[in-house]
Amino acid sequence: MEKFKVIFQPSGSRGQVEEGKTVREAAQELGVDIESVCGGKKTCGKCKVQIQEGSFEKFNIESKADHLSPIMDDEKRQLKDTEVKDNYRLSCTAEINGDILVFVPEESRSGGQVVRKAAGDIDVAIDPIIKNYYVELVPPVLEEAEGDLERLLKELEKSHDLKDLSIDYLVLKGLPDIIREGKWKVTAAIRDDKEIIKVFPGFADKKFGLAVDIGTTSVVGYLTDLETGEVISIDSMMNPQVSYGEDVMARITYAMTNDDGLEKMNSSIVEGLNKIIVGVTKKVDMTPEDILEFVIVGNTCMHHIFLNINPEPVGLSPFPPAFHHSIDVKSRDLGIRGSPGSYIHVLPIEAGFVGADNMGVVVAVAPEKQDQILLIIDIGTNGEIVLGNSKKLVSTSCATGPAFEGAQIKHGMRAAPGAIERVKISPFAKEVKFKVIGETEWHNKTQKIKARGICGSGIIEAVAEMFKSGVIKKNGTFNKELDTKRIRKNDKDMLEFVLAWKDETSIGKDISVTLGDIRAIQLAKGALYTGCKILMKHHGIDKVDKVILAGAFGSFIDKEASMLLGMFPDCELDKVEAIGNAAGDGARIALINNKLRKEADKTAREIKYIELTVDPEFQTAFMQSMYFPHMKDDFPHIQDVLDKIPK
Amino acid sequence: MSTKEELLKGLKEGVIEFDEDTTVKCSEEWIKDGYNASEGIFDGLAAGMEVVGDLFAKNEYFVPEVLMCADALYAGLDLLKPHVEGDEDESKIKGEAVIGTVEGDVHDIGKNIVKLMFEVAGFTVHDLGKDVPLDQFVEEQMRTDSDLVCLSAMMTTTMVGMKKVISNMREKNPNVKILLGGAPVTGDIADKWGADGYGDDASNALTEAINMVSSLKELRKSGEL
Repeated sequence: MEKFKVIFQPSGSRGQVEEGKTVREAAQELGVDIESVCGGKKTCGKCKVQIQEGSFEKFNIESKADHLSPIMDDEKRQLKDTEVKDNYRLSCTAEINGDILVFVPEESRSGGQVVRKAAGDIDVAIDPIIKNYYVELVPPVLEEAEGDLERLLKELEKSHDLKDLSIDYLVLKGLPDIIREGKWKVTAAIRDDKEIIKVFPGFADKKFGLAVDIGTTSVVGYLTDLETGEVISIDSMMNPQVSYGEDVMARITYAMTNDDGLEKMNSSIVEGLNKIIVGVTKKVDMTPEDILEFVIVGNTCMHHIFLNINPEPVGLSPFPPAFHHSIDVKSRDLGIRGSPGSYIHVLPIEAGFVGADNMGVVVAVAPEKQDQILLIIDIGTNGEIVLGNSKKLVSTSCATGPAFEGAQIKHGMRAAPGAIERVKISPFAKEVKFKVIGETEWHNKTQKIKARGICGSGIIEAVAEMFKSGVIKKNGTFNKELDTKRIRKNDKDMLEFVLAWKDETSIGKDISVTLGDIRAIQLAKGALYTGCKILMKHHGIDKVDKVILAGAFGSFIDKEASMLLGMFPDCELDKVEAIGNAAGDGARIALINNKLRKEADKTAREIKYIELTVDPEFQTAFMQSMYFPHMKDDFPHIQDVLDKIPK
Repeated sequence: MSTKEELLKGLKEGVIEFDEDTTVKCSEEWIKDGYNASEGIFDGLAAGMEVVGDLFAKNEYFVPEVLMCADALYAGLDLLKPHVEGDEDESKIKGEAVIGTVEGDVHDIGKNIVKLMFEVAGFTVHDLGKDVPLDQFVEEQMRTDSDLVCLSAMMTTTMVGMKKVISNMREKNPNVKILLGGAPVTGDIADKWGADGYGDDASNALTEAINMVSSLKELRKSGEL
């Protein structure tokens, strides 16, 4: 097959690409990050690139727009006429049949995301699965020349009452040298009082573990001191699988439709995690070999791909996982760098879409130990909800879609510098104030960072403010009687509300919220609210004591805005609490407390999973939940705000 | 006492305004006054739903409103249907369609809206429901000799199953028109997999379907099939 030269700018990545591959596939091969929100289905239009025509001496190529497959109607629909004229193409669909130079515009570049996953304080007893035991061995003599291992085992039994221990083969291999290096004084790191996974020469009281949260979009590792529970360094990155599809369904489909799809995604996350391991240890002058134990959380799809298990059944109703129980795997079996004898513990899965990440949240919040009724919502591309207390726990998962993360939104983008994250609209003049990530003050003309798009928390607040100021009605439609130039029809003949004018943005055009965006938010928040309501019905309650918002996203959305939109049922605003990346916190807890780790397996199976779509009231509940804040339900705790909405 | 015109208007407006009480009240009176049930359905309820379809296409109505209109429509339909006399007016039947959400997918709200639009437009619809085994689409088409097979999927993962239905259907009965719809589906995918059409939303699906069926009927008339 013929190969062609492909060059990406501004990164400068270049290489030979086989004929017939799409620009996006070429980008993947050459390590160029291009947004791919819809996973190559030509619906999001976010992967647009510009073909630079001409001869490029420096690269020795003649780049032409017609070195790509002809533009199709579907593709055209995602592009403006002027863009078509300027040789813009969707990278997911344009196929290469000649040398090209591709420019990836700023708005199409992924990466540079602000990963908002700091480590919160956690308060649990320190009782890790790994314990260090120091022993002083009697050196062998001719009269008593027993083997090194037997000598070590005997002494561990004698001084520490540890019986029937096994030893990792690679640890055993190095044992004679270590014992002699320590001059017959060694410290054995023993896992769960069963297996010797590391032997240090002499006395060693330090031991470290890594808790990892593999999110669909970002991966975070917390290097933790297993003695103190303290997080000593954090490293994070975009999940490198993003280039195979933005959401879990796109990735499952990638595994289904490509023979080596699972392999590719598995190696990309293993490679990514190894980078984090190197990064997180380097920051504190350590090496990957210093890590004795790993705990991993992630949604069911991330969990399966990480373990190299086919995720296909998870993508099809009734969505069964390959297994629920937690699992311990030698890190070397998965190609993960760590101490040679180290294990990876992966938290259990509750049900299909309520995965090990949600189990992390449950471990962190511990609703099974509380009397008050908690409504725990983890908002991501999928919303996972757990409801209940020590008496009864139910859970569900709802397809919120990626709208809350800024995808499927016309000007949506990730939480990166330039993303509008806060919005205020004045009730009468309908004038807009906004704040972008990267600036501390509300936007003004002197600021360096201009608006580039709207992130998840920004779109929530924008739509909530539009509702609060009367720009849109309860049913999501625009109030057409308003006289403001911010409400207008766009080139697709759809109503929209302008948040930022061209001169306030860095993308050369206005940034607006369209009716289509509002519809996407209605569907997403309707799904979430419906999940809450149906769980409450199954639990037999009509109000909750506390709403807990897990996930980084929950920390950045305004509580009042989220209640105005009706993302969840009414509750005292003071009782709505955002707890940040609880999945990561749960992983850290499982790393430093073995008892809680073991309880998680039990709790996971006690939480009753409720499938929403089979509930006879689902359709009606969903329909009513799409209104702001709801078609019928009362919201006494924000009634004063609702009363003030200009009619 | 309302006139016939007033009752028809009530049936129509009741659907548009999603006012179930009105469609029920007018349907009862319609029957009591001895008017033709079919006429009440087509010129009253269905005419109202056609307006709803327009409002939906214009983005004035969204899923909740359409579903509420559907409730009002069905409330009236339940009362009128038992009174429809034996032979329905053949000219009003536009065609026959098999519809369902494909295997592995349990999302059927969109499919239900499309089905509703088809019914009010005069199609006979054989609804297979959700999570429908792929072979069942072909079997049902063969059983009913429907003109159209409509496949819906909400998830990227299940959408892939449509490809199989299309190729099986083509093998068994190449003349059947196949229409795809659902969030992950695009016109390009429909083309690539050899479907005859793609409905971006319910009203679009309906227009596509009507065109397809009329082209089928013309072919039949001209003796090509």
